Amino acid sequence: MNNYTGSGTSVKLGSIILKNPIVMCSGTFSSGIEYNDFYDVSIVGAITTKSFSLKPRAGNKPPRLCETPAGLLNSIGLQNEGIDFFINEHLPYTKKSGFNIILSILGTDISEFSDLAVKIRNIEESLIAVELNLSCPNVEKGGMSLGSIPEEVENVTTAVRKILNIPVIVKLSPNNNNLSELARRAKNGGAEVISLINTVIGMSIDINTFKPKLGNITGGLSGPAIKPIALAKIFNLHKEKILPIIGMGGIFGWEDAVEFMLAGANAVGLGMVNFVDLHAGENILDGIINYMSNKNILNISDIIGKVKAE
Amino acid sequence: MKLIKGEIISNEKMGDNLYKMTIFSPYVIKNAVPGQFINIKCSNDNSVDPLLRRPFSIHDVEYDFKVFSILYILRGKGTYYLSKLNPADVIDFVGPLGNGINIDKIENNNFLLIGGGIGIAPLYFFAKVLSSANKNVFFAAGFKDNSFLLFEKMLERLKINYEIYSENGMHGSKGMITDFIKEKVDDFKNYDIYCCGPVEMYKTLQNIFYLRNMRAKALFEEIMACGIGVCKGCVMKFKDDQDGYFYKTVCKDGPLFDLMEVILE
Repeated sequence: MNNYTGSGTSVKLGSIILKNPIVMCSGTFSSGIEYNDFYDVSIVGAITTKSFSLKPRAGNKPPRLCETPAGLLNSIGLQNEGIDFFINEHLPYTKKSGFNIILSILGTDISEFSDLAVKIRNIEESLIAVELNLSCPNVEKGGMSLGSIPEEVENVTTAVRKILNIPVIVKLSPNNNNLSELARRAKNGGAEVISLINTVIGMSIDINTFKPKLGNITGGLSGPAIKPIALAKIFNLHKEKILPIIGMGGIFGWEDAVEFMLAGANAVGLGMVNFVDLHAGENILDGIINYMSNKNILNISDIIGKVKAE
Repeated sequence: MKLIKGEIISNEKMGDNLYKMTIFSPYVIKNAVPGQFINIKCSNDNSVDPLLRRPFSIHDVEYDFKVFSILYILRGKGTYYLSKLNPADVIDFVGPLGNGINIDKIENNNFLLIGGGIGIAPLYFFAKVLSSANKNVFFAAGFKDNSFLLFEKMLERLKINYEIYSENGMHGSKGMITDFIKEKVDDFKNYDIYCCGPVEMYKTLQNIFYLRNMRAKALFEEIMACGIGVCKGCVMKFKDDQDGYFYKTVCKDGPLFDLMEVILE
């Protein structure tokens, strides 16, 4: 067993210091409790909870999943039990077990995000950071997600920032072609870190019934299929040196995680790999530590953005 | 539940596209209850095709030999991968998973089990447990054709009452098993009823039982991703108290649900 807390694995993202670069992605790890039956998940740098809204959300009609070549399309629809459930049911366990929690919150407008932030203010000492999930369609904005509108990204971040003292992370979607503008707006609003990439919009059709395979018609694609897209987006955003990046999208092994860091990710997000390898957190961390040892890398942060792409 | 590497003891063709795989696992034998399932990685170590694990219900357990089995129909890439595995090969699975049938809480002495197609797989495990507890079991099974001929031998060995129907009449009586249930339903009024099969079978059974104010439990299947209740991908719809609805996960809240509470669409 390797020493997971050695200084060589720690990474810094704004004022956030993680003991290692492994971050569990929102929606794929719940709050870590289920996975703690498989291994001690307090070893990972951070666990991003699934996104909690102010009130419970039922989610989308099924079918919600469809496997595609090396990918998974999902249209879960952000089903969750509401923020009070996290505070009352999950937080006592995650605190007791020493999990490093990034709380993901989800709103349809600024007022929902502000209300969420007020609720979180009392528990913020138990969290590393909050991550803003801006993917929810906004009715007043014609169904566009808040995360695709630059001024909304800035306004929501500012509103949450005003209420909370802990760092704010903004998760961005690759379905926008103005990522650097969105990242700048997040920074203007006071965000310290960008999470990139959320899922890629996709679709699949049953050729016998002529029906879409997802109940919601379209969904978000994740898995190895999107890894090259994620790498390019991270590489391009990193060059602009706007904010540190938690890079995610199709990481399945430690080699992928190293690639993401070379492209410019300060930390790496493990998403749907958790469904396939229920020990992914420790396996990928072990792989990174072995890689460091084999390559004589003393600090993993030394490789961030070091791809030779001149 | 654990992530387990289990050795395959046998992997035999039981009928047209129907296979039975027997796996050595003292852990599963010790912990599994009927209705639970395992989630198998159906590709080589570093392959991502197919990507997700595939869920299979626990079909049979042999406590003396510490082996259990799954029954599967050759349908896609995942089951093709399984069908090519040999004894002494090792499979990577997570289990036992899901909310199965808690035998200790069962008081009734009479049980009607209704299986449609591959749905007989988990019910057989239940029938075996009930039979060894000297309960009165009636197994009603319906198939498309005669692919499940060998299954009848297994029912015979349990020494329970059973009835088999097939759509083309090549195995048992001709017709749907739900026709049999409809005709004989009053004989089973004081039975605990458990079923497992396709959605169309469940819709018909809901109608039959609703009219007679009877209850039944059912085992469901859905495409799954995590298998442990995290991703909320494999959901079924339920009525709530205020004319609305909510979703429960098949993998963790289920696969056992009250058939009369599920909204089938």
